[in-house]
Amino acid sequence: VSATQGPRLLVDPVACDGVGMCAHLAENLVRLDTWGYPIVPLRDLDPAEVRSAGRAITGCPRRALRLSR
Amino acid sequence: VSGVPHGPVLALALPDRQPGQSTEPLRLLDQAVVFPDVGHGDPAWDPRSGLAGHLATYGQRPSSVPLGPEDLVEAVAGIGLTGRGGGHFPAATKWQAVREATRRTGVRPIVVANAAEGEPASAKDAALLCRRPHLVLDGLALAAEAVGATEGILWLHGEAHEAHRVLVRALQERRAHGLLEPTVRLATGPSHYLTGESSALVRALSGGPALPESHRVPTAVEGVDGRPTLVHNVETLARIGLLARTGVDEHRSTVLVTVLTGGRRTVVELDRGTSVSAALLLGGWPAGEEPLAVLLGGYGGSWLSWDRVRSLPLDETSMRAAGTSIGAGVLAPLPHGTCGVAEVARVAAYLANSSARQCGPCLFGLSAISAALTALRRGTGRRSDVRRLQLWAEEVDGRGACHHPDGAVRMALTGLVAFADDVEAHRRHRPCAGADGPGLLPVPGEGS
Repeated sequence: VSATQGPRLLVDPVACDGVGMCAHLAENLVRLDTWGYPIVPLRDLDPAEVRSAGRAITGCPRRALRLSR
Repeated sequence: VSGVPHGPVLALALPDRQPGQSTEPLRLLDQAVVFPDVGHGDPAWDPRSGLAGHLATYGQRPSSVPLGPEDLVEAVAGIGLTGRGGGHFPAATKWQAVREATRRTGVRPIVVANAAEGEPASAKDAALLCRRPHLVLDGLALAAEAVGATEGILWLHGEAHEAHRVLVRALQERRAHGLLEPTVRLATGPSHYLTGESSALVRALSGGPALPESHRVPTAVEGVDGRPTLVHNVETLARIGLLARTGVDEHRSTVLVTVLTGGRRTVVELDRGTSVSAALLLGGWPAGEEPLAVLLGGYGGSWLSWDRVRSLPLDETSMRAAGTSIGAGVLAPLPHGTCGVAEVARVAAYLANSSARQCGPCLFGLSAISAALTALRRGTGRRSDVRRLQLWAEEVDGRGACHHPDGAVRMALTGLVAFADDVEAHRRHRPCAGADGPGLLPVPGEGS
């Protein structure tokens, strides 16, 4: 990822238990699928989205989210 | 491939074939291998499964060492060799990555022959292991030397009893013959569809469970026990064993496919570009008959209607241009009188059961897809089921730690397209006559 691009929000699908906290903490980024597991955007995030993603990452009780670098 | 110095490919000298011996180009297999009558890899059945017969046919393994491993790397890049486990990733790129990681970290690399053929419809790896074990082991030794590894592991599926027996004998023969080569040990995994998934085998060989893992660092950089690890399918290795003898110029591009017909799996070696219809005939499909559709690649592959698939050439580049893939080389034609919806539902149930149950979208999504397809199969499906199948498939695709859910979804969605008329009839509560039959495709553990 070059300096001009933002990072991406990534889910570790093995660690994720579908608690769904991320969808509350980052409503603009995360939606839940039929079974309650997060679907995240497959693109680079802008600075405002990075802040929102940070809240979801910190709030995830399974430590299943991270930013790509 | 960058970083490879240009130089002569002399190390890949022609084999020392005896005068008077056939000048036919060297191939992996010279005739079809039919399962379950594979013949136990017994030298009496096929002399080339023993070391003496192997050496008589293929000659000594040319070492890639004298001019440096660069030559073999260059040859592997030169023929555009790609992984034959289904992913078709360029082999030379993997080699470069392992060598680069080894240089950078100073950690000793290791090579793994992925012989765990979990695909129920495939037998090409079993054919090579039972009939050409020494060609596979030559390839393993050559690949190890090329990346500077002194150790290799051959990873087998839990059900591969015959291949295991043949390989134990082959390794004994090589030791008795005093071949100078990296140490190879056999390791047997569980009997599971995902045993051969590359992150699962790396985890298992590092002392963990044989389950897929979310990749962060590539296997080439940190694989078995954190070491740079080269993983190749056995067909890829056998091709390397052949290439080292022929060199680039005499190399003959072929494809190994398994044709599933008449309740048997027939493995045939075909020239690249052979059409699917010609391949089926060579694999035992009756002449003059046309199947309804063909499952191409494997259980995680694509169903294609006969009109779409019949003249497709067996060549990965052409297949990709046509929006599909040779995958693991399975060709499973569905004859008239069988029910496509039932086959799709049976395979979907098997794949749902084969989930490692680690990732929610795979665990719950594949179960939901399987249940909806089973309802359609029985004629109890609702109008909304087909629409929901599409939605679920989109939700599941690409959301596992491994590609298992992606393949399952591809099989299900292409099945709905290839058998669209049958799906419609089933949805109107008119299942085909064959819908409750025992089915055609082999599904391990079905009904238990």
